Amino acid sequence: MTAILADAPAAARWDSRRRAGRFLMFAAIVLLCAWVLLPIYLLIVNALSSPNEVTGFPKRMLPSFDTGSISFFINFAGVAKALWNSILVAALTMVLSIGIGAPAGYALSRFDFPGKEAFRFLVLMTRAFPLPLLALPLAVMFIRTGLDDTPVGLAIVHTTLALPFAVLITFSLFSGIPFELEEAAWTLGCTRLQAFWKVVMPLALPGIAASAVFAFTISWNEVFAAAVLTIENRTLTAFLLQSLNVSPLYLKFAGGAALVVPALIFIFAVRKYLFAMWGIANR
Amino acid sequence: MKTMMKLISGAALAMALGAGAAHAQVLFWSTQAKPVEETQKMRDQVLSGFEGGVDYQPQDDGPWLTRVQAELQAGSGTIGVLGALHGSLSSLAADLVDLSDVDLGGAKVNEAYRELATLDTGEQKYLPWMQATYIMAANKKALEFLPEGTDLDTITYDQLTAWSKNLAEKTGSPKFGFPGGPDGLKHRFFQGFLVPSYTKSMVTKFRSAEAEAGWNKFKELWQYTNPNSTNYAFMQQPLLTEEVWVAFDHVARLADAFNQKPDDFVAFPAPAGPAGRGFMPVVAGVAIPKTAPDMDKAKALVAYMLKPETQIATLRATNFFPVVEVTLPDDMPNSVKLSAPAVAAMTGAEDALPALLPIGLGDLGGKFNQVYTDTYERIVLGGQDVRAVLDEQADVLRGLLEQAKAPCWAPDAPSQGACPVE
Repeated sequence: MTAILADAPAAARWDSRRRAGRFLMFAAIVLLCAWVLLPIYLLIVNALSSPNEVTGFPKRMLPSFDTGSISFFINFAGVAKALWNSILVAALTMVLSIGIGAPAGYALSRFDFPGKEAFRFLVLMTRAFPLPLLALPLAVMFIRTGLDDTPVGLAIVHTTLALPFAVLITFSLFSGIPFELEEAAWTLGCTRLQAFWKVVMPLALPGIAASAVFAFTISWNEVFAAAVLTIENRTLTAFLLQSLNVSPLYLKFAGGAALVVPALIFIFAVRKYLFAMWGIANR
Repeated sequence: MKTMMKLISGAALAMALGAGAAHAQVLFWSTQAKPVEETQKMRDQVLSGFEGGVDYQPQDDGPWLTRVQAELQAGSGTIGVLGALHGSLSSLAADLVDLSDVDLGGAKVNEAYRELATLDTGEQKYLPWMQATYIMAANKKALEFLPEGTDLDTITYDQLTAWSKNLAEKTGSPKFGFPGGPDGLKHRFFQGFLVPSYTKSMVTKFRSAEAEAGWNKFKELWQYTNPNSTNYAFMQQPLLTEEVWVAFDHVARLADAFNQKPDDFVAFPAPAGPAGRGFMPVVAGVAIPKTAPDMDKAKALVAYMLKPETQIATLRATNFFPVVEVTLPDDMPNSVKLSAPAVAAMTGAEDALPALLPIGLGDLGGKFNQVYTDTYERIVLGGQDVRAVLDEQADVLRGLLEQAKAPCWAPDAPSQGACPVE
């Protein structure tokens, strides 16, 4: 009896401490969500408001569903084509950087070869030079070879930017899959290729998809090369970003929404694979 | 996922191979009319009348120049016509086609600008396209705080400072605004307005006692300037939100405020200093690079841009004024109605002192601007000693002018050889 009585305050203390902990965790979750969601929310609200409401004060928290600014963008000559080009270039970048990056990552994780460390370092070097510096010789070369102003040409440049990530992500990915699994497959009659395809690939796929998403966003966000290397086939970012910078506030919001929403939709569609990179749904 | 990837890549490849159709329209590669609404108007209202069609593509200066250089180096290009400010075109002088044989019809082009556009080569390297300048704008609410005896049309830097002081003290917060952000045109204010107004010179008297007085006046004004000014690029925005009641900026960068709330604002000339009312006219030009794919069509487009009707349409679209003789119709936008009298009052003032854009600096133009920006940052933002900063920056300035071997331009007196910095 006395023991129970003595325990009660301790239990209550324990309980309140747990409650405080839980409160802190929820607070942190809410804060983090607000950190990400609030700017997007404000962007959407302002994109759906009339110019006067955007510059006015106090700010509204609910959109008035004035579609003036948005429809300006939909009718702005070339937006639809630029959007298509963006998707095209980003998709090509994704395919190219995984197609080239994943084998490189596999080789780095499975084989020992001379110059391996130097290679890993060199891969990163492609990001060491700023694009404005490289754009001029690249553009000259592209014009001479006929790659100029084609989605493929731009995708090649974007692939160079995305490749280091693809190589390094897939490298750590393949390193995390035990070599013994492959060996087991060989002893059971698989060829090297079959073992890779049937055993390693299914395990690595979510991570590969994640690095593909990375490549996609890198391409989607790139402006300078896109602005210099394409004219007829502009990407959405090259098409809008420079103009938005100097446009009135309400058009900035509408244009911002036009740039963000497609990327959000894409990320949402592949979120399962993106989480895989952080190990939440690795199987 | 796998099938999705296959589908995407298949479609992408198919599209990529199909792309690359021939370029029938003239590509107009421009650094002007970049804001989306202006671009839209350029396409719909200005260029739609050109037979054969124009593909109008506005760019930031960086990609604009890189692309032109790439085409010139590669020896073949897609750009038909270039549109840019005088300074950007002057760095390309050697690769621009002589435009003196373009048939302009009856259009009478401003002779001074036409002369400027030869870039001292004897050839017509570009043709002036449109012009603008900088003026002041004020919210009508600010007028009641005007110091006694101040006439907006003849305002001076002393009066502007007194006014801003009044505003700051009586409304509780600083109400003068200045485009001092990274994308703001602050360097033009110092080159073309503040320094000439005090020294009647842009370069020669850079470190004179008069210049020192001018910078000290600006430092005084800065106390009553909205501190957000270090972020502003286009003053129309803070004017509309009423963060700022009095502002200095490029006419095109004030236009939105005048158009949206014409009854709330007044426009007036830039202030005068002891040496006169310094102001800088801005000229944009159209040029044709040597690599233009269809030279005749490009020249036709240049001629089209200078037709009086096109010039008026351009004014409506961009708030840049015509460079050929035109009679303006009555139904101009509010921004034009408000700013035109202010521009006229400034350029026609008795103490008017036009300070031209730098001439003959070529690609050192950016560094030239940087001298003035650095001076501003060190004196006004850094609070460093005015005399010492001017002495140091004068050395940089002298170095640049000697490197470029650029003779003086107005308002400095003509010089033999590089313009001296005394």
